[in-house]
Amino acid sequence: MAISKKIVLIGHFGVGKTSLIRRFVENAFTEDYKVTIGVHISKKNIEIPEEETVSLIIWDLEGQDDIKNTRPSYLLGTNGFIYVFDLSRPVTFENLDSEVTYLKENFPNTPVKVVGNKMDLVNKVYLSDYNDVFKPLVDFYVSAKTGSRVELLFSKLAKELI
Amino acid sequence: MLEAYKKKYYKNNFQYILVDNSGKIIETDDAIFHIDANIQLQSIHPFFEILNNLLQIENESFDFTCINLDFEDKLFVVDITIHSHKNNENLIILENLTNHYNNYQLTAQTRNESIINSQILELKNEYLLEKETFKNNFIANFSHQLRNPITASIIFSDLLINSDLSSEQKNYLDIIQSANKDLKSRIEDILDISKIESGKLILIEKDFNLKKLLKEINDGYKILAVKKGLEFNFNIDDALPEFIKGDQYRLKQIIGNLLNNAISFTDKGFINFNISLNYIRAKKASIRIEVCDTGCGIEKQNIDSIFERFTKIESETQIDNGNGLGLAIVKYLITEMNGSINVESEINKGSNFTCNLSFKLSYESHSINKVLLKKQLPSLEKKYHILLVEDSDLIQLTILKTLAATNNFYLNIISKGEELITNIINEDVDLILLANTIQGFSAMNLAASVRSLSKEYKKTPIIVLSTRAYKDDIKLFKQSGVNDVIAKPFDDKKLLDTIYKHLNKKRK
Repeated sequence: MAISKKIVLIGHFGVGKTSLIRRFVENAFTEDYKVTIGVHISKKNIEIPEEETVSLIIWDLEGQDDIKNTRPSYLLGTNGFIYVFDLSRPVTFENLDSEVTYLKENFPNTPVKVVGNKMDLVNKVYLSDYNDVFKPLVDFYVSAKTGSRVELLFSKLAKELI
Repeated sequence: MLEAYKKKYYKNNFQYILVDNSGKIIETDDAIFHIDANIQLQSIHPFFEILNNLLQIENESFDFTCINLDFEDKLFVVDITIHSHKNNENLIILENLTNHYNNYQLTAQTRNESIINSQILELKNEYLLEKETFKNNFIANFSHQLRNPITASIIFSDLLINSDLSSEQKNYLDIIQSANKDLKSRIEDILDISKIESGKLILIEKDFNLKKLLKEINDGYKILAVKKGLEFNFNIDDALPEFIKGDQYRLKQIIGNLLNNAISFTDKGFINFNISLNYIRAKKASIRIEVCDTGCGIEKQNIDSIFERFTKIESETQIDNGNGLGLAIVKYLITEMNGSINVESEINKGSNFTCNLSFKLSYESHSINKVLLKKQLPSLEKKYHILLVEDSDLIQLTILKTLAATNNFYLNIISKGEELITNIINEDVDLILLANTIQGFSAMNLAASVRSLSKEYKKTPIIVLSTRAYKDDIKLFKQSGVNDVIAKPFDDKKLLDTIYKHLNKKRK
């Protein structure tokens, strides 16, 4: 029997949380932007080699400018967080440090993966310009559009949860 | 009665589901959607996986708002309340708010899209601005770096023309001098555009002799037109004021550009250069400048774009060797002078450029005459000691040749900034020529150290030879104790005039 683990995706609006989940669950992507209101919940089982099957219950939360405005009930029983920001829009990572600190302080035993999405829109020079902001905090640079490192992100987190 | 209406209009938006501690459905009223009894609620939607944790806690209530439940290909947006009880009977209440949340979704969609679009636009603007600044700085720096070799080329060819040359050599030198002039003017255009874009192009208003300026322009361009076999007609209105107040250099640049274009684009026929007075009102003279040609003309659809930067109109019969900046500069200068420019053109018949400009009348004509009289050739009763602080071999040689040709100066050259103070203390120095930067020293720092010495050194004129000679730069140079700035590229006349001016001042 699969172990269920609740993962919550959190971050500003328009950073691509829904697209990341869609890429992971359905292996699909659309350029159309549809605002998420409240929460959408999806499920995907993944096999962890030499371990077991993990059933990821993925909560896709409505985007917030400030993580503190998130409805507390959504976070009940969370096993892992994915904090997503848009690499191409600085406003979505200008408070990255304090947002991640808030999560780590309020959910001390819950793993947090910090993810810069839309990697396909930036280049190496751009990343090196923001190196001081990204390097200490960011775990993954991904692209929901191309699918780059999306699978790896979820499977790494899943491994940490078991 | 009310009961009857309530019954008629009652909408049941609530569904009540009873589950045991494992999440198995005991009973449901199916008010929103149908669910079979005796199945695990977790199996109908992953949201209910949360029951595995929450139902372990007895006698608690949990509220979840705005949960998107896709169920049998239909999306319901519901608020959910979970009441856990001790007796293995837990109540789950779903309130169907799909319509309400869908309306909210539309509002949020519009708001978020608009915010994201404005953020993206802001970023694009920032990027374009950065790109533009980089481009302007690159153009400015590159043009500045060309100034030393051009200065040397201009001065040496001027020196060479007076030497003993064969007529063939003189012809070659004419070509070199013409190329120098052309190159200098193109670099000045590029610098002007970069000044315009960085907001550093400032008009300098001074009293000047308008009629004299127009005559000089006419003399210069008439030669070019006649050389090309064109008729050149210059008509000047006698009613024009002799003296006006304005930026003489920029007015000359406007007219020069128009005449230059007219000559370039005309193979046969004539050029008419007409200047007339529109009116004099409120101590200002409105002047009309007209340049007509019988050249190739401009297509109607291209007329608006000729004032854009780097625009060159393609023509089958004409080859324009310009850089496409002249008319952009003309348009900018005329706008800055609160004037107007109009073009009428017909293909293969010619073009007519008309501009109207207003200038303040000058009441200082007498003082100008006095200044003009003062600017006669200097008479030096002795040879003066010039100290040149410059690390460019090319400029050192250029200045050495220019000064040596006059036989009026002794020249001492140093290439290191740190040697300046020792040199002026130990040697006779009547005037210092200073490069704007010299191996880690700036002219401003060097000038300030000279001025901080004892009183006798405070009067030694310091002239900076600078690739940067914007108004702001000159102000900073003067604040540090510099007397004058010569912008590179310069010619021998400019160099000597400036030196004589300051030596004459010192004598008095």
